[in-house]
Amino acid sequence: MSTEIRMPRLGWTMEEGAFGEWLKADGDAIQPGDLLFTVEGDKATQDIEAMDAGILRIDPNGPQGGDMVTVGALLAYLTKPGEAVAFAQSSSQAVSQSDSGQLSVTKHQVPSTTTTAPTISPRARRVAKELGIDWSQLAGSGRTGRIVERDIRAAAETAASAAVQTPSAPAIRATPVAARMAQEAGIDLETLAAQKPGQRIGREDVEAAIAAQQPAVATPAQPPAGDAERIPVTRVRQLIAGRMAESAHTTAPVTLTTEADATALVALRTQLKATLGGRGLPVPTYNDLLIKLTAVALAEHKLLRAVWQGEELVIAQGIHIGLAVDTEGGLLVPVVRDVQDKRIRQIATATQALIDQAQRRQLSPDALQGGSFTITNLGMYNIDAFTPLINLPQCAILGVGRIVEKPAVYQGQIVPRHLVTLSLTFDHRVVDGAPAARFLDLVRSYVAEPLLWLVE
Amino acid sequence: MREITFIEATREALDVAMAADPTIFVVGEGIGKRGGNFNTTVGLYDKYGPERLRDTPICERGFVGMCTGAAMTGARPIVDFMFVDFILDAMGELINQTAKMQYMSSGRLKMPILLRGCIGIGHAAATHHSGSYYPTFVNIPGFRVVLASNAYDAKGLFTTALQCDDPVIFLEHKSIIFNKTHVPEESYTIPFGQARIAREGRDATVVALTVMVDKTVAVCEKLAAEGISVEVIDPRTVAPLDIDTILASVHKTGRLLVIDETFAPCGIGAEIAAQVIDKAFDDLDAPIKRLNGLHAPTPYSPTLEKAIVPNAETIEAAIRDLLAE
Repeated sequence: MSTEIRMPRLGWTMEEGAFGEWLKADGDAIQPGDLLFTVEGDKATQDIEAMDAGILRIDPNGPQGGDMVTVGALLAYLTKPGEAVAFAQSSSQAVSQSDSGQLSVTKHQVPSTTTTAPTISPRARRVAKELGIDWSQLAGSGRTGRIVERDIRAAAETAASAAVQTPSAPAIRATPVAARMAQEAGIDLETLAAQKPGQRIGREDVEAAIAAQQPAVATPAQPPAGDAERIPVTRVRQLIAGRMAESAHTTAPVTLTTEADATALVALRTQLKATLGGRGLPVPTYNDLLIKLTAVALAEHKLLRAVWQGEELVIAQGIHIGLAVDTEGGLLVPVVRDVQDKRIRQIATATQALIDQAQRRQLSPDALQGGSFTITNLGMYNIDAFTPLINLPQCAILGVGRIVEKPAVYQGQIVPRHLVTLSLTFDHRVVDGAPAARFLDLVRSYVAEPLLWLVE
Repeated sequence: MREITFIEATREALDVAMAADPTIFVVGEGIGKRGGNFNTTVGLYDKYGPERLRDTPICERGFVGMCTGAAMTGARPIVDFMFVDFILDAMGELINQTAKMQYMSSGRLKMPILLRGCIGIGHAAATHHSGSYYPTFVNIPGFRVVLASNAYDAKGLFTTALQCDDPVIFLEHKSIIFNKTHVPEESYTIPFGQARIAREGRDATVVALTVMVDKTVAVCEKLAAEGISVEVIDPRTVAPLDIDTILASVHKTGRLLVIDETFAPCGIGAEIAAQVIDKAFDDLDAPIKRLNGLHAPTPYSPTLEKAIVPNAETIEAAIRDLLAE
């Protein structure tokens, strides 16, 4: 009996997901625990494991990379050896193009017949080259349909006896991995071979061809614009764009700024560094301290962590704070959960893990959801104040500037102090100016006097 | 034509060499008056005396160390391990001293030592008397590793071994040492690193080692009736390995199977496959295949023992499988 493989639901609210790619090929023997395919969730790519064993039979009309697929849509079967499977003529009822479908469609028009391109043994390829046989349409007699030497020789004999002058095919020698990659990406090996006469086509040649192909299809309708660089828009970029535009268009953002005296906070961090670092323990970052003190302030100011959901404001029991992380793929905001119950060391451990996963694009979808407030820190880029955009559906976001030594009036004297500018953007639909200002002032006082929240 | 056994052939070569070279002596357990458990030295004790056919206590590391010293100082010792399983007790000496001394002395010292012993599965000898272990020695720089498959080759290779200034490991499979072939009475040598084409063919190449050579050839004769033409190569020595003969054959056939009674992982088949893929990738018409004994200690039960080594049936299946690729 065959087992169905369907699009999984990766989060409570997920209705459809972007299919990534198959990690196994049609016909592969699968063991439970093998990674079968990837799904691009919101900002994170998930590998999907097999729960059962069997021979993988992929729906030939199934989704291509980037296609949006409804949760529960049939993707493949795991069968017993020799067992036949019947796919619907087209499973497209389950496949809908995403908003970004324009890109995917164009991209995948290229490989039209490639799924049936034959495999060929290195020797058969060599002999085909010697005899000038075009093997791309030959049927292989080897196991799994592989074209072997005898197929080429038979084709050569047929060609000779028919006295047909076969136009000699361009010489094609490719490593097995290059041939497979070319087949999967719809790259024409003959074109590549023509560029490298007499040389074997390797993985890097195919990769270069794939890279060259992508920008060309990313802007299908536009006229050529001289020497302009074309950067294909990634899925993460599109998501960020959508979220930012939505935030800018739907919220009523107001940004408050204030300058906090961070001298005591700097002293605390310096002490932590000396004490913990010297013992080889993880040292909490400023962000970790800010997450904790903000959570203490948020406990008092509930509306600032309200989440706008349709006709009501929802205030979660736990205080879950998102931290903006800059990654190669774009901005990600992993969430540290239940900060109110965590000690600073636990927060430090949690953020370190989340940042690592974000950089490697391995965050689970859950790690990116459910935040009630966001902190974004541009201090390392020497930014003082800025107007962050609210991370919907949250109510507010705290922007943290650089901590810098400046002359300041302290106890009647002008002395050097460590100062930091805090920028709070809040949604005036949810909360008014005065309560937001009171919240920010509380955060300011917590920065200035860490003991106020350390003993909470 | 005269036919003698594998063991008689090596004994003849040993006798001739001992008569000509007074620095040759043999040590081992039961190789004196008794003539060796496998008759390796029968008759030589009476001829050359206890001084040169020296029975030892069971202390492999001791007498291997002693013979290594003797070889360094000009003698030509032969260590007869009876079952090569016991060479394992001398591994420290062999790898750290015997195999390295020539390199460490920049070639000023020679190491003309011959280490011989019986290998292989097939006589309900259980796991402590059925080992082969040659891939291990091929992995170590310094050893010559000889795997004769018949009496004729055994005499020629044994004579070469007794003229070699490097440590030679000469391994004799228990299932073939009493097999007879034609062996000339006069002395002759077979150079190391020169494979023998045991059977010519055009459809596939099979590299078979020691006991597997004759078994494979027999299967191939049977397949020839169906028009299947298989070339069988006997490397004869695996260090050095005659890869050129194998490459030439693969160039002809496009298909390669390596049949070896001993373990597959990191074995001779793996090494040959790696070299062939590297040097003859475009000659391959099919994946390279291996047929090995199971990767497990040898069971004592004759029934189980039979089941873990390649036999005529599995050899035939492996060849057909290769041709079906």
